[in-house]
Amino acid sequence: MKKYLKPMVLMILVLFVAACASNPKPAEEAIKAAEAAINAAKGEAIKYIPDQVKALEDGLQAAKDAFAKKDYKAALSAAKDLPGKAKDLAAAAATKKEELTKDWKEMSGGLPKMVEAIKSRVDILSKSKKLPANLDKAKFDEVKAGLPGVTQMWDDAKKAFSSGNLADAVSKAKTIKDKAVEMMTTLGMQVPAGAKG
Amino acid sequence: MAEEKTDAWDATQWHEVKKGDTLWKIAETYYGDGSLYTKIFEANRDKLKDPNMIKVGQKLRIP
Repeated sequence: MKKYLKPMVLMILVLFVAACASNPKPAEEAIKAAEAAINAAKGEAIKYIPDQVKALEDGLQAAKDAFAKKDYKAALSAAKDLPGKAKDLAAAAATKKEELTKDWKEMSGGLPKMVEAIKSRVDILSKSKKLPANLDKAKFDEVKAGLPGVTQMWDDAKKAFSSGNLADAVSKAKTIKDKAVEMMTTLGMQVPAGAKG
Repeated sequence: MAEEKTDAWDATQWHEVKKGDTLWKIAETYYGDGSLYTKIFEANRDKLKDPNMIKVGQKLRIP
């Protein structure tokens, strides 16, 4: 009896694998589970890590495509890891949100001070009969002309933050920071340490 | 020039008075026009009583 056990087990396994390959149920359930997990995680994640959400959705689509072609083995293989990845997505989104919140807190406190300092210097230099030695008129005019744009962008960043679009708010704030650093440097002003780098 | 900062984003502009400095000269350095020294004087009224009386080592705000 013992000598038949091994071949029998092997036979059962082969039949099981063959059954899985032709049975749509496991793949269908895996796709459903993956879709539910992605939908549950993507609400927050799409705001902070849209690329990673897209990668998961592409994976789900690949599983659905394989299922549609009746390639259940491939569909199951493509879908089975997605719930786990969706769980990681939520954690990654939380980390990114924390990082963006920290950036926003810093910049929303610091940028208005930089913009005010630039405005103050531009106002005074506008009254000067002669510009400082290290500043030519064309460069000064460029800074002066750019200030309303910076103010407008700061208003836009605050609006983005108020409407819950943290990633966009931080992206705009970073652009303003770079512009403000450039303006301060052109005007020969000291750039705050927090704005460097 | 010297920075006197309490936080990393403080954008206040500072100048440390050196020997031979006058508000006129400082205004010329930062604004190109000495006659704008009054802007510096006004920004430092908490520490300057007389625009002609500045001390070496004093840290002045440059608006």
